[in-house]
Amino acid sequence: MVIIELLLGALWAAIPAVGFGMIFNVPRAALPFCALGGALTYGVREVLLYQHLSIELSTFIAATTIGIIGVFWSRRYVMPRPVYTVPSIIPMIPGKYAYEMMISLVSMNTDGVTNALLSSFIENGLHAVSILFAIAFGLVLPSMYYTKRQQPII
Amino acid sequence: MLLEYGAESRLIEQLASRLGRALGCTSIEISLIPSAIVLTTLIGESSVTTTRRAHEQPINMSIVHQIVSICILAEQNPRDIVLIERKIENIHANHYPKWLVIPAIGLSCAAFSHLHGADWAGFWITFLASAVGMAVRMELSSRKYSLLIVFAFTAFICTLVASLSLYHGLSDTANIVLSSSVLLLVPGFPYINAMLDAFKGYISMGWGRWAQATLLTLMTSLGIMLAIGLLGVKGW
Repeated sequence: MVIIELLLGALWAAIPAVGFGMIFNVPRAALPFCALGGALTYGVREVLLYQHLSIELSTFIAATTIGIIGVFWSRRYVMPRPVYTVPSIIPMIPGKYAYEMMISLVSMNTDGVTNALLSSFIENGLHAVSILFAIAFGLVLPSMYYTKRQQPII
Repeated sequence: MLLEYGAESRLIEQLASRLGRALGCTSIEISLIPSAIVLTTLIGESSVTTTRRAHEQPINMSIVHQIVSICILAEQNPRDIVLIERKIENIHANHYPKWLVIPAIGLSCAAFSHLHGADWAGFWITFLASAVGMAVRMELSSRKYSLLIVFAFTAFICTLVASLSLYHGLSDTANIVLSSSVLLLVPGFPYINAMLDAFKGYISMGWGRWAQATLLTLMTSLGIMLAIGLLGVKGW
């Protein structure tokens, strides 16, 4: 039952990856890989969350996974890596946290500062920033390994 | 060599020097700042320096991909400048048709709202809101407005349409609908590129892109705040 739910979630996550790939004008041949990558990152993150890891750590591991896979794909199909990696991590972007942070900021402005609003602002903001950082660092990690060697990846 | 369609700095530098070597130059040095490229070409004993201005362009990965494949082609048959020039002339933006992109974006934002746990009414409202938003964004972009204004206005429209869900309690999960429908404006590529650049030693490029992405986010939130203030949405 849990596995079916996970697969359905991954399927839903594949849709945004393709949609955002279209905004970024990804070449047509790469679109299926974007979908696969989106589903994969979401699946990995959900599995890790299910193991009671923190959301930041699981996001980081998922981003690293797609970063490493992106290296292999880009070698094989001669494409720059961001073509695969960036649409794939789109489903993990912390839009909801950032939004709630902003809403609490606005209501602090109109209704005055209260403890509850302030704590919600800081909490959501910290979550959003740390998840973003986890994504970026996860993507950078594989290519930092390759900058040690002088050879370019593709 | 205007490679500024959202490519990563390191990629630009590597490509330029590889292409130069393939075409028979001794070495190529390049310096990047967010709005321009300075390129020095050393051929034998003489050197040529050019500065090119980079214009703000929408992100287009297919152009980046085509340039990469041209570079690899140039390495395979060196010193064939006619072939390379003809290939560069032939670069074209591979745009997806409008009628395909708009529903695709609508569907992706709706999928986001579903993942965050919205009900089915919320799903369809998100679909509508982000599809309308995407149409507005493309329309404004084609009229060559500044990117900042486009983002703010699109966020405004998206939030207006999404607040339909508050109308008569059409959907129980209104705040998820509101937050998912503006997700199409998340500047993911600039943020990731900024981080990648900064980590690889191009600090000034990284900061430039980070500032640009932050400005875009700020304008988006301005649009949302405007819509919320206009409607007097409250209650969470």
